[in-house]
Amino acid sequence: MSATNDTVHDRIERARADLSPPQVAAGVAIAAALGFALMFLQDPLAHEALHNFRHAAGITCH
Amino acid sequence: MLLRYLERGVAAGAIAGLGYGAFVAAVVNPFVEHAESLVHYGHGHDHAHSVAVAETTTAAVGVGGGILWGILLGGMFGLAYYVLEPSLPGTGTMKAYVLAGAGFLTVSVVPWLVLPPPAPGTEHALGTDARLLIYVALMALGALVGAASILGYRRAAPRGRAFAVAVAAVPVAVVVVALPLAAPAGANGGAVPGELVAAFRGVVVSSQAALWAVIAASYGWLHRRASGSTGASAVDRSSLADP
Repeated sequence: MSATNDTVHDRIERARADLSPPQVAAGVAIAAALGFALMFLQDPLAHEALHNFRHAAGITCH
Repeated sequence: MLLRYLERGVAAGAIAGLGYGAFVAAVVNPFVEHAESLVHYGHGHDHAHSVAVAETTTAAVGVGGGILWGILLGGMFGLAYYVLEPSLPGTGTMKAYVLAGAGFLTVSVVPWLVLPPPAPGTEHALGTDARLLIYVALMALGALVGAASILGYRRAAPRGRAFAVAVAAVPVAVVVVALPLAAPAGANGGAVPGELVAAFRGVVVSSQAALWAVIAASYGWLHRRASGSTGASAVDRSSLADP
């Protein structure tokens, strides 16, 4: 297993080689868009439906 | 390769999240309903949810939320594992458990030292915005503590395993002891009985810890399986690629 002998730096370099900049940009954009959408999921029904779940996860937003 | 790790992380998260979601629906939902029925919201607290949402919806959302929560944590776990695998101590699944421990510390334990899991019906001393800000800052602190602990272990490892484990425990112990003393801002009072609050926190802490443990175990299993079945061909390919 060659993969176990590399360093953290190698891993980052490898990811750079494997992924094209547009792929990275698309991934970051999707993550940001989902985060943005979640911020607006404070819509009362969705928010209240998750009330118990937020308690369960111990998340601060109440 | 990165995508393989991410896939495995998401799969492990889905496995763990499914169990966690079932736990939320079966145990936490009734717990929250019961606790909130004990408390009278006579203090201008806006808690209309029990009327606004049907119980079946809450249960379904509990399971669905559990799966999504598991996938979120598992996906982040897979990405972090890809980058950090070479520097994690231990071998095989042990690495996954170390990373899961660091994740639990970062996402939950350190923030909870200042902002304990809000038991149903309790009130907060601070507003939501302030708490979110504090939570994010504490997650950063948790990541630093986890990193310090792992680096300490690696530095001390040549002097014996027990010594290294003791060194690794130091940053965690310091934060766990010092942080609640330094910032008792999260103490939330309310009309809820103390034992109920303690029991609820116990359920939350142990269920989140179990979620991380199942993510690590599933990830380790998927990782072993993948390297067992494709290990030989991966080596072949990389040796072919070498000039």
